[in-house]
Amino acid sequence: MFKHIWFKELRERFYTWKGTLWLVIASLVFSLVSYLLLTDKELSLLDQTEMMWMLAKVIIGTGILIVTIDASSIITDEFEKETAESLFLSPIRMRDFVLGKLLASLTLWLFIFIVSIPYIIVTSVGTHLLLPFLFYVFLLGTLGVLGFIMFIFSISLLFRSSKNTLTTSLIILLAIAIPALFPAMLKNNSLAAILSKANPIDNMFSSLDNVLVDYKASLFNNWQFIFPLVLFCLITFVFLVYVIKHFKLAGVVKNE
Amino acid sequence: MKAIISANNVTKSYGSIRAIVGLHLEIPEGEFFGFLGPNGAGKTTTIRMLTSIIEPDSGEITIAGHAYPNLKPITSLIGVVPESRGFYDWMTAEEYLLFFAQLYSIPNPLKKVERLLEMVNLLKRKNSVIATFSRGMKQRLGLSRALINDPKILFLDEPTLGLDPQGQEEIQNLLKQLNKNGETIFLSSHQLNEVSNLCSRVAIINQGRLVAQGTIAELQAKTNLEGSTLKEIFLTLTNNNNV
Repeated sequence: MFKHIWFKELRERFYTWKGTLWLVIASLVFSLVSYLLLTDKELSLLDQTEMMWMLAKVIIGTGILIVTIDASSIITDEFEKETAESLFLSPIRMRDFVLGKLLASLTLWLFIFIVSIPYIIVTSVGTHLLLPFLFYVFLLGTLGVLGFIMFIFSISLLFRSSKNTLTTSLIILLAIAIPALFPAMLKNNSLAAILSKANPIDNMFSSLDNVLVDYKASLFNNWQFIFPLVLFCLITFVFLVYVIKHFKLAGVVKNE
Repeated sequence: MKAIISANNVTKSYGSIRAIVGLHLEIPEGEFFGFLGPNGAGKTTTIRMLTSIIEPDSGEITIAGHAYPNLKPITSLIGVVPESRGFYDWMTAEEYLLFFAQLYSIPNPLKKVERLLEMVNLLKRKNSVIATFSRGMKQRLGLSRALINDPKILFLDEPTLGLDPQGQEEIQNLLKQLNKNGETIFLSSHQLNEVSNLCSRVAIINQGRLVAQGTIAELQAKTNLEGSTLKEIFLTLTNNNNV
């Protein structure tokens, strides 16, 4: 049943050009960053692995930001555009509904990743890091995006408003992302170190640094960064399951 | 005849507002049942409880042998034209019905969709995007969606609201035909002429309470308004001129 919802969402994204627009925006961001990395006087002085690290962060960051904005309305639109009642009068189950939407959001991330592949190839020319670069951007990006989607879906079902969901999601995303951008010297005290180890975006960036700058590409060398991301996904999954179990249609259909 | 729709002492509140109080309904199979009430009387809440969209606070609901709270199986037995008229505007009429046909796992969905579009006179517009449809066309499309699973019971919440006389006539003829074919129809409407033309029995609800139920002749007798119209009976029973 979920596949009908999944395909409907994909068709909607590409019929209405919303999905295509996101991909154009992503490719423009990647083009701009790649261009600056190769031509800007100061940025071009960076070591090639540092450039790759920077591009990887931009790809994952752009992916998470775009998917966050898109996923904030994917569920709430059904309530706000009054299509939910007809949908839930059909034999569809809530878990199929959410799974279909989740796969649609993950597919958008997959398309963003595919768009980024030429940029990854160009910036990694002459190194032996192309495959680890592709693998880790895909793995870390997918885990990060998955965790954020499940969190966004949970608050979508709680708030039932795309504006509230988007605002909250962006605030949470910024609250998590900004500390990850702090220089290492600001993370020296024990509290900052603990927060850094628990921060999913910090762990993504640390893992990319480990792979691309320190050449430690095996999963064994990166488990300490991947594990918190898996934990983040598990926590958001449990939250989503809890919200789905307690979800009631009263209040989301018109005039209730 | 055994009731296909049954509600016994059903109550529903929203906070301190009592939307439905002690509702009793018994609707036999094949009946064309009219459900009337002023704005805010509890008609839509009743339909949403009967169609398992919202839960009653207390009371018993049985639809086609399935009793609350195990009403999920009724989704394949009922068709609903809900009050909220949301459509996926970017889809064509055919894609829209196909999507719902897939959700109901209908065999040969294309054939079924074509038949329904022909029934509601939209076959020529099957490839048009719903955003380009008039209100009447959307109403007809909503009705065809409600019929996609060949339901035993059809719940209609204001199906002719905002339609021109031709549009109303088309929908009414379609509903007559469906009822003739054995469909049980539960019609909530403000169009009192429509209800008196179509329905064999009528219930009137006011401020969440059922004030009368029966054939029009029975309601005339109850209100001592022999020979009066449904509108006069309605106004007497609801003491409300906002029809």
